[in-house]
Amino acid sequence: MTFSKELTKGFIKDNPIFILVLGLCPTLAVTTSVVNGLGMGFAATFVLLCSNIIVSMIKGITPSKIRIPVYIVVIASFVTIVDMVMGAYLPGLHKSLGLFIPLIVVNCIILGRAEAFASKNNVLMSIADAIGMGLGFTLSLVVIATVREILGAGTWLGFRVTPLTYDPMLIAILAPGAFITLGFLMALINMVKEKK
Amino acid sequence: MKYYLKLGFILLVFCVVASGILAYLNTLTAPVIAARKAKEAVETRAALIPEAEFAERTAGTGETYFVARSVSDSTEVLGYTFVAAQNGYSGVVQTMVGVDREFKVLGIKVINQSETPGLGANCTQPSFMEQFKGLSLPDLKVDKDGGKVKSLSGATITSRTIANSIAESIKAVQADLGGE
Repeated sequence: MTFSKELTKGFIKDNPIFILVLGLCPTLAVTTSVVNGLGMGFAATFVLLCSNIIVSMIKGITPSKIRIPVYIVVIASFVTIVDMVMGAYLPGLHKSLGLFIPLIVVNCIILGRAEAFASKNNVLMSIADAIGMGLGFTLSLVVIATVREILGAGTWLGFRVTPLTYDPMLIAILAPGAFITLGFLMALINMVKEKK
Repeated sequence: MKYYLKLGFILLVFCVVASGILAYLNTLTAPVIAARKAKEAVETRAALIPEAEFAERTAGTGETYFVARSVSDSTEVLGYTFVAAQNGYSGVVQTMVGVDREFKVLGIKVINQSETPGLGANCTQPSFMEQFKGLSLPDLKVDKDGGKVKSLSGATITSRTIANSIAESIKAVQADLGGE
């Protein structure tokens, strides 16, 4: 495996949401607007990058019996760092994401990549994996949020994109809308994949 | 036995290092966060009652509120501001409220809420907050309860929470001032 291959596999081929089906809890919760999706995506990417680097650095000195608690400590620390730094310097984003940041701890993409990739590969490859997976996650969030925000609020990134006569389909930004959108998008991707 | 002690020790080392880093970062960010919150509160108060100086007061029940006095004449009380809070549909809804001397609402601002997006979260929209202007105690109820606050569609609980929390807080401030 080369660096670029590790980097790009997260976008489509091993997309964490649509193909690996990881991290659905934050996905369903934050995709009510594109801004939230972007914020959550980048915050998770940052945590994933840091945790992958540390996990691959300490893989030699972590006994396999306690590796999961060690990974959780690493991940939880970075999440807390993101929470504190964002609260101090990016208050606007923190206000809308505040509720979801602690959720990154239990985002299985991060623990999943630590366990499946970073603990078996060197630092460089782990960086590529984290960036690819993180951006793939962000991309997927934006795609889902785009559908939900346009249908449910008539806006995209906060700008009105539908005619004023359009009455927003409120259900799209409520919980059922998350499941329905995710289901349709997944079906679409599977359809494209099978045709190949 | 020795092996397990060793495992425990390794885990301990990881935790100590992690908490050390977090404690250090907390000392850096906590003052910034506190300063920003305080600044936001000052700005919101100034927007609710312009050209006033605010003095903090603590009621006998433990709640704090601010007395607004005119900048030009410090004996003239312009009104009061306080934070009204009550549990909404999902978590506490906090509203900063400004009232005049007769406890007529000058303006409100929802400063903290985690209500349903698209329904209750619409309480932060100006069109909802504007309608509180000029209301006094008897009207501070949602229309369904016989008041003058028009509820958000699909979010009566949120609307009722805000209206009731403001009414409660006004009563608390009145009680405190009446006791003088």
